[in-house]
Amino acid sequence: MSKDKFVFIEQTGEENEAIRPSLTYWQDAWRRLKKNKLSMMGIVVVILIVLFGTIGPNFTDFSYSDQINAYKNLPPTLKLYELDGRYFHVSNDYNVFLVAEDGTLIERLVLDPMKRDMINKVYTYQLGEEDVILDFSYNLLPNKMGYDYNFTLELDGEVAQYPAMTKLNKLFPFGTDSLGRDLLTRVMYGARISLLVAFVATIVNLFIGVVYGSISGYEGGRVDNIMMRIVDIINSIPLVLYVILLMVWFRGGGLTNIIIALSSVYWVSMARLVRGQMLSLKEQEFVLAARVMGVSKGKIIFRHLIPNAMGPIIVSIAMMIPSAVFTESFLSFIGLGVSAPMASWGTLANNALSGLTTYPYQLFFPALAIAFTMLAFNFIGDGLRDALDPRLRKG
Amino acid sequence: MRSFYLKRIVSMLITIILITTLTFTMMHSIPGGPFTRERPVPDEIMRALNAKYNLDDPLPIQYLNYMKGLVTFDLGPSYSKIGTSVNDLIISGFPASAKIGLIASVLIVAIGIPLGVISALKQNSPLDYFVMFLATIGITVPSFVIATVIIYFFAGKLGWIPSFGLSGPKSYIGPVIALAGYSLSFVTRLTRSSMLEVLRQDYITTARANGIKEFTVIMKHAVRNALIPVVTYIGPMVAAILTGSFVIEKIFAIPGIGRHFVESVSNRDYTTIMGITVFYAVFYLIMIFIVDVAYAFIDPRIKLKEDK
Repeated sequence: MSKDKFVFIEQTGEENEAIRPSLTYWQDAWRRLKKNKLSMMGIVVVILIVLFGTIGPNFTDFSYSDQINAYKNLPPTLKLYELDGRYFHVSNDYNVFLVAEDGTLIERLVLDPMKRDMINKVYTYQLGEEDVILDFSYNLLPNKMGYDYNFTLELDGEVAQYPAMTKLNKLFPFGTDSLGRDLLTRVMYGARISLLVAFVATIVNLFIGVVYGSISGYEGGRVDNIMMRIVDIINSIPLVLYVILLMVWFRGGGLTNIIIALSSVYWVSMARLVRGQMLSLKEQEFVLAARVMGVSKGKIIFRHLIPNAMGPIIVSIAMMIPSAVFTESFLSFIGLGVSAPMASWGTLANNALSGLTTYPYQLFFPALAIAFTMLAFNFIGDGLRDALDPRLRKG
Repeated sequence: MRSFYLKRIVSMLITIILITTLTFTMMHSIPGGPFTRERPVPDEIMRALNAKYNLDDPLPIQYLNYMKGLVTFDLGPSYSKIGTSVNDLIISGFPASAKIGLIASVLIVAIGIPLGVISALKQNSPLDYFVMFLATIGITVPSFVIATVIIYFFAGKLGWIPSFGLSGPKSYIGPVIALAGYSLSFVTRLTRSSMLEVLRQDYITTARANGIKEFTVIMKHAVRNALIPVVTYIGPMVAAILTGSFVIEKIFAIPGIGRHFVESVSNRDYTTIMGITVFYAVFYLIMIFIVDVAYAFIDPRIKLKEDK
């Protein structure tokens, strides 16, 4: 075969070079996390909730403790009855409100005490010079006598039986509670408190757990044995019991007390995790090298070992935050939470319990907030676990 | 094996003593006695009360008396419910709590494990997604929200079940679902993921290659191995049911131990708090012990490790 049959391929240099740039551990983890749609959604939700809690209250007209007596137990959607071109809302406890067409509350009508007919269930409200008559005697009739409405509203002879439309409550988008406080503002403050408790407790847990676990794991031997026995003992009764005991010991609520109670108990699992990591990491060559070079114990632990154990630690943090939110709401729910008028989501849910059948929306929003937060952090945690610790990847 | 049990029992006893001491110290170091009220009680009455409940003894003596009482299963009188002892409270509350807890546990195991296995076998099918969706909701929504939603819809709007008390078989539905919800979802997820992992193992392929029937492969080789991590969860499950009962019994107005505990917390009834805490801790430790023993039977690797 003659030489001229061979032709040189034009070399561009592109084919032989590695296309993938080399990534650090964190870049790689971030790349994997970005692919996980649920986790990214979780991150967005968490950011939104944090914004909702931090800057949200600046945009509402009320503070979390403002009580407006006229506007108690108002729902987030108003059923409007049209009379004479004006709109009225009748609340579940038979208060009549004058409402603008777009759903903004204007005023609560004053009940005329002279024209209140308790026996026949006919109340008269004053609207300037005019009288608005609310007749809710239909409720008293046996089987309502076939009427499919509960009350009628009358103004100048014009009668309305059915709501003309349903509008969103402009003034109180989430409604108000039994003391006339704006629920939107309270849920925002609830976010602030619930998340603050969760974040601070998690950071303290992280700190104690990492220090405790790394000392135990690095020292090994007898120190390790004693330290882990202590952890075993703490771990051997339900942690919520400790927290409740601590809260009783503190004589009740208070933000600081909850944080202290939560952070003094939940570090145990973190300590175990870090110890396990230390046990395997300390046998590796780079630790030996550091030791040979005379690096101090503390420096080896904090500069060399802990950064290498950071993946599992971060996954564990992401799982710890929702459980702190959970425990805090649980405590608030059984009456050991922050003290009034402050409120966390758990307190709000607890307050809503007494009026549940009449005002279900009071439970709905705090419960939704808790569920969203839990869901978001769980998704983030799952994603982080897959991204940071591929060995643990599941299903 | 015997040394294993012995070690476990000794460490259990030490834990019980430590927990009792801790709760005793905590409850007695709260400033003000159990009879401190906003309106001050006259001194003579205070002295008489303290003498009646032996609170005028020095603390170490009180501690010894309390421990003596514990050994004979006597948890002392309740401070806020005059004339009742903590024992009475526990005895009166235990049947209701135990029934609900037991039904919930059975439900968790009987529904959670099969659901997990099925959704693992049908991975990425609509059924799998549906089950995982429910399980995720069960883990993220707190039990008190589930309980109130059940009351609102099924007891209030639909009137299917009573909203409080334990009066008939129907009245168990609400509390049991609310109590089991979290653990049921957790067990389902755990079973699913552990099942998926087992199904990828080589011995499953080997079993199939040997021509063993698919049913036998799943039941005998896969499920049995997949259940090992699930058994570990039984301990935390007991804890979740114990603490879950606090809110469930409060919401459904069930006269169980959990409600007594929550009431004693808000009444600052220190002996009851102490008594029920100790009771719970002991109960929990015994459950964990039983789980550990059962575990050693299920997983042969553990037995080997202990024998060495």
